[in-house]
Amino acid sequence: MDKNTILTMQGIVKSFGVVRAVTNGHLELKKGEVHALVGANGAGKSTLINILSGSLRPDAGIISYNGESTVIPSPLRARALGIGKIHQELQLVPELSVGENLFLGREPRTKLGFVHYDKLFADTAAIMASFDLKVSPKTKVKELRVGEQQLVEIAKATSLNARIVIMDEPTSALSKHETKKLFDVVRHLKSDGVSVIYITHRMEEVFEITDRITVMRDGAYIATVETAVTTREDLVRMMVGHDLAKTSTPAQTSAGAEILRVEDMCLTFPPFYKKANLQHISFSLHSGEVLGIAGLMGAGRTELFECLFGLHARAMSGQIRIDGKQVSLRSPQDAIRHKIALLTEDRKGQGLVLSRSIGENISLPILKALSSWIFVNMKRERPLWRRQMENMQIKAPSFHTLAGHLSGGNQQKVVIGRWLLTDPRILLLDEPTRGIDVGAKEEVYQIISTLSKAGKGILVVSSELPELLDICDRILTFCEGRLTGEFARSEANQEVLLNAATLSTSFH
Amino acid sequence: MENTATKPSAVLQIRTVLSKFQSVLGLAAVFLVASVICVRGDKNLFLQPNNLANVVRSISENGIIAIGMTLVILIGGIDLSVGALVGLTATAAADLMVIKGLPMVPTLLIVLAIAIAFGVFNGVISTKLGVQSFIVTLAAMSIARGLARFWSGGIGIPIAYGDAPGMAPPAFSVFGDRLYGVPVPAICFLIITLIFSVLLKYTKFGRHVYAIGGNETSAYLCGVNVDGVKILVFTLCGLLAGFAGVIHAAQLSQGSPNDGTGYELNAIAAVAIGGASMAGGKGVVIGTVMGALILGILDNMLGLKNIDNNMQLIVKGLIIVVAVVLQREKKR
Repeated sequence: MDKNTILTMQGIVKSFGVVRAVTNGHLELKKGEVHALVGANGAGKSTLINILSGSLRPDAGIISYNGESTVIPSPLRARALGIGKIHQELQLVPELSVGENLFLGREPRTKLGFVHYDKLFADTAAIMASFDLKVSPKTKVKELRVGEQQLVEIAKATSLNARIVIMDEPTSALSKHETKKLFDVVRHLKSDGVSVIYITHRMEEVFEITDRITVMRDGAYIATVETAVTTREDLVRMMVGHDLAKTSTPAQTSAGAEILRVEDMCLTFPPFYKKANLQHISFSLHSGEVLGIAGLMGAGRTELFECLFGLHARAMSGQIRIDGKQVSLRSPQDAIRHKIALLTEDRKGQGLVLSRSIGENISLPILKALSSWIFVNMKRERPLWRRQMENMQIKAPSFHTLAGHLSGGNQQKVVIGRWLLTDPRILLLDEPTRGIDVGAKEEVYQIISTLSKAGKGILVVSSELPELLDICDRILTFCEGRLTGEFARSEANQEVLLNAATLSTSFH
Repeated sequence: MENTATKPSAVLQIRTVLSKFQSVLGLAAVFLVASVICVRGDKNLFLQPNNLANVVRSISENGIIAIGMTLVILIGGIDLSVGALVGLTATAAADLMVIKGLPMVPTLLIVLAIAIAFGVFNGVISTKLGVQSFIVTLAAMSIARGLARFWSGGIGIPIAYGDAPGMAPPAFSVFGDRLYGVPVPAICFLIITLIFSVLLKYTKFGRHVYAIGGNETSAYLCGVNVDGVKILVFTLCGLLAGFAGVIHAAQLSQGSPNDGTGYELNAIAAVAIGGASMAGGKGVVIGTVMGALILGILDNMLGLKNIDNNMQLIVKGLIIVVAVVLQREKKR
């Protein structure tokens, strides 16, 4: 074995019940390299990484660390070995300060055994400075922006004298500027001889920051390649197993009648509330139109959707008109009754009941229509389940499979399949392709295109500007709760949008 | 179909079956032990028809309460007021019939209305005012117990049957009686088990209960009337506790304001042994029934062996721990 190799994982197998998540996991990591782990959703990346970080135990396979065969039975053991993981979902304690979070479980003590807070905060300040993060060590984590929280999480993992740092989609909540900072940190780690395993769906990041790439597909190892001699096309081919058709540009649909109109919408939360306020938002959506909403974190994009779905009736003012008639949306029930569907950004936390089956999840919003008196008519719902499984191409043994056992892409398809059964006229899609692989993305774009041709009005929030430019007829930009721009497809490009999304003045 | 989804191995299948019927197997084991060790001379004390009828009768009360508790635990809540409600409704039933001279039907209506009122109170305060159910029902427990003692002046009211003043209508004794040798409480328990099994498995309400317990936000965003379902759950739990109180009064021929103490813990124990998750979203009525049967047989067996009451408590506690440890989610 190469002396430069710090870690090898070979022949890793892991099943959850009847679902085999990893059939042949393989990874070889050199000292001081940035190594990308890529693959479609359900390829087994997360499972492999959870095995490495001690959260899961493999059914079979060998892990050797520094040339010695090892078992990693717990996250604690992984940490002791010098393997640190930055989670996709943040794992900080919101009520504790930045410093207390960084040193959680290894607080410096005074001679009497109390926490040595002076030292703790001084050490934290030093670490924060190396990350160019301008927050006080005494600030509670819940008061930080998501991007800042992510950097704290990264600081925590790297300050543990880690030899291997695992980053799972670290930039999904970061702004451009914060991403740049993160890359500086990664380069810094690398020069210290730390190895970084970098998981991402963003191709440009793979090519910008990594040295080598390992590709997985359907739970199995496909290949490890040098980044410098690999093209994007090669990578995509390895990930999906065949050439991908060129991204189809949806036919320009002629927008129909106005379906939704928002007038002077304001949303006001108490100070320090973790949600963004909205100020005097007015726009309209036409039937058959795909309207994109661009903006940075905290711009109020998600909050706009929540208002349109009846979640903030008390904090909101202004008018919402559907087909010209003013409507009062005070609850999700009201919104569903007005044929509005919301695809939330956070599939696991807000979208699915993970402990129930695919079928029950699909039925949930339309149970009333599927029931006679109090009883659910199973004869009517089964064919619907079967149809949506096929239409959405959900990959699962059956519709009785628990939603929690599915991969991210398949979960997203379950959520979309569920909402299409409510026969919505207005769809609110919040980051519909976040954390989804290229193949599934294409399928989602196809669905959006089909729906707009069928005369639905579609609002799409996305952090990926190329995606908005590709699928939208019109794009609005938001900045800090204000509407700062409106662009027809023909006049928009990334620069124009980014510019408007960082504007400090409102657009009228 | 995806090639990663393959046939489960035989070992895995056996393990799945074992864990699925764990509570049934536990019941069979306890039953077996009881029928083997409770022998005196050539007489099997446990398997005597009379004794078995006693077991079934004595578990019916706890079983009925535990079914209500199952619903509450499924939505991620807890109801500590059920024991005190048994005391209150038993006392109320005895007082209304014996002292106030009311006939049976109005008595039942009033008593069950009181139980429902407590359930609604628990549900409304916990949902609309956002107080944790542990706290609300703790308060309701105190209120119900206080009300029962206040009502009867702190003493039990004996129930004698007859048409004279100061006697309860003979019809009420049906709840302490037998039908073709089967205790009526057991028949009630069986009917309630069937009703609630069907309710959870085949109705909108049941789906909503599981969805709320599994992911409340998701259920809310899908248009489920989360507060309404939760209030209904607490109401049903109160109603069942009230009904158990009626049976309690008929069986003991008295309504005592101090009865039912600790019954909430027995009900929670039955639910836990039955495999429900205290975090909500997971559990079935039949599991709880098994749990109640296991606890009841255990009580009866230890009684037949003349084991000290306090020792019985210790054994029961250990059994709960063992049962719950055995069915905890396998660490991945």
